Amino acid sequence: MMITALRVELAKVFSKWRTFIGFIAMTLLVPVIVLAMSAEGGQYFSFAMQTLQQAFTFTGNLMNGYTVAYIIFGALYLHVPFLVTLVAGDSLAGEATSGTYRLLLTRPLTRTTMVTSKYLASMIYVKLLVLWMAILSLGLGVLVLGTGEVIVIRSQITIIAQNDVLWRFALAYAFAMLSMMTVASVAFLCSSLVENSIGPIMTTMAIIIVFTIISAIDLPLFDSIRPLLFTNHMNGWKLLFDDPVDWSRVATSASVLAGHMAACYGAALIIVRRKDILT
Amino acid sequence: MPVITVRGLHKSYGDFHAVNGIDLTVEQGDVYGFLGPNGAGKSTTIRMMLSLVKPTSGTVALFDKPLTTHREEILRRVGAIVERPDFYNYLTAYRNLELLGRLSRADVSTASIMRVLGIVGLDTRAHDKVKTFSHGMKQRLGIAQALLHDPDLIVLDEPTTGLDPQGMKDIRELILSLSADHRKTVFLSSHILPEVELTATRMIVINRGKTIVEGSVQDLLNAGRLRVTIETDRPHDAVTALGTTPFAGRINGMTERALILMLDRNEIAGVVHHLDQHGLAIHGVVPVRSLEEYFLSLVREAS
Repeated sequence: MMITALRVELAKVFSKWRTFIGFIAMTLLVPVIVLAMSAEGGQYFSFAMQTLQQAFTFTGNLMNGYTVAYIIFGALYLHVPFLVTLVAGDSLAGEATSGTYRLLLTRPLTRTTMVTSKYLASMIYVKLLVLWMAILSLGLGVLVLGTGEVIVIRSQITIIAQNDVLWRFALAYAFAMLSMMTVASVAFLCSSLVENSIGPIMTTMAIIIVFTIISAIDLPLFDSIRPLLFTNHMNGWKLLFDDPVDWSRVATSASVLAGHMAACYGAALIIVRRKDILT
Repeated sequence: MPVITVRGLHKSYGDFHAVNGIDLTVEQGDVYGFLGPNGAGKSTTIRMMLSLVKPTSGTVALFDKPLTTHREEILRRVGAIVERPDFYNYLTAYRNLELLGRLSRADVSTASIMRVLGIVGLDTRAHDKVKTFSHGMKQRLGIAQALLHDPDLIVLDEPTTGLDPQGMKDIRELILSLSADHRKTVFLSSHILPEVELTATRMIVINRGKTIVEGSVQDLLNAGRLRVTIETDRPHDAVTALGTTPFAGRINGMTERALILMLDRNEIAGVVHHLDQHGLAIHGVVPVRSLEEYFLSLVREAS
C-alpha cells in the first residue's frame, strides 16, 4: 500500500504548478550565470584574486565549468530552502486547506502510510531539485567553459586538480540533498501543525533565519546549542572541497541533519495520528 | 448481520458535548436516514464512524468488526461523502477518481471510471479540471468517488446539496437503486426531509448530540396524530357539527372546500361518521403525515 500511496502522492506533487517553480527558476538562472561567466568571467576572476595575483602567478583555464558550478552552488544554495518549503510546507497543510483530508483518510490506508508517503514524496522532490541544480550547473558549465582546476578560498586556499574534483561535487550535492531534506522536514513538521500552506513556509524560513543568527553571533550563551542547530551544519558541503577532507566533521554534520530529519518526521507522524479531521 | 453498530458514542470538546451517547444500528440493505437540525452532531457522528474523529468514549463497529482494530479492512468496503465535496482542484475529474480509486484498491480502468462518471452524468466533463466545476458537479463527483470501488456501505452526508431539482431526483433514484437492485446499505444524512421520506427505510433523529427517536420510517410516520383533510362542500357546517364533540379542539384549519384536523388514525372513522349523521357530504379523506412535521414536532419536544 505504501508504494501505491507514494505513487499517488508523487502524481499529486507533480501536477501542481508550484512544484515546478524551483525547476523553472534554476533553468532560467543557471544558464544566465554560466553565460555571464563565459563573457565576463575573466574580469570577475581577476577581481576576486587581485590580492593573490600580486604574490602568485595563475596559469591555465581557471575560469572553467567546475569553478562556475562551485560558484553557482554557493550562490543558489542560500535560496533553495525557500523553494523546497513551497512543496514540503504544502504537503499536509494543503490537504487541510482544500478539505481533502476527508477524501484521503476515508480510504483504506493508515495515517502512518499517508504521512510517510507524503514525507517520501517531499524528499524525492528535494532530491530531484538538487539533482537538477547539479546537472544544469555542472553540465552547462563544462559544456560552455570546459574543465580545469578549482580554486577554493576558505580559511585556506585549496587548488583542486581537475581529476580530483568530480567525486567532491558528487558528495557535495549528496550533502546538499541532505541539508535541503532537513529544511523540507522542518517545513513538513510545520505543515502538520497548521491548516494553511503559507504558515509552514513562513515558519520554516523564520526558523532558518533565527537559527542562522544564533549560529552567527559569537556569544558564550549560544555555545552549547549552536552545534545542535541544523543551520550550523547546512554548509557542510564546503568541507568536501577541503584538502584533506575532515571526514569526522562531515560525518558529524550529516548526523545532526539526519537527526533533525528523523525528529521532524516522527513529530509530524505523532501529530497527524492524534489529529481529529475537522476541516 | 448489522452493517453499522454504534453504542454509547460520545465526543466532547472541553465542556461542549458534540455527541452525547448515540446508539444506532443499521442493517444490510437499509437506506438509513440520519436527521437532526444544524449543530445536532450529525457530522461529528459520521466523522467518528469513518475514523476521521476519535470518540471520547463509545464504540463503532462496521460489518460486525470494531473500527479501532479493523479500520483498513472496513474502509475498503465503505464509500463516503463527508460534508462539502472537496477535490484536488488542479486535477481533472478523471484523474481525481483514478488516484482516489488506487488508494481504495478499486478498478481504475478507463471503463470503470467512465462508468461511475456516467452514473452521475459527468462523463462528458471527465477531462475537465475540477476547479471549473460548479458545486453541484462536485457533489456528483463526490458520489462517483464513493461508488468507484463498489462498496457495500455508502455514507452520504447531504448528497443533494447544490443540485437542481432534476439532479436531486436522479440522486434519489440512484439511492433507491443502490439499495433495491444492488443490496447496498446507504447511510443518508440530509436536511431535505422529503428526500429521506422518499428513500429511507429506517431513520434516526438526533438533537444536541442525543438520540430523539429511531425506527422504521413507516412506523414513525404512522405513530401519533395525522394531518387529515376532510373534503366537503360545507366546511363551516362541519365545524358547527363537530362543535360539541371532543374533535372540536382538533380543528387545525379550513379552506373553501375542506376541513383540516389533527387526528389519531383510529379516530378518522368516528369523525367521518359524525359528519355523515349531520347530513354533510364527504367527498374525500386525505390523511397526511409528513416527515417534516414529525421532525419539527420531535425537535420542538426535545428542546
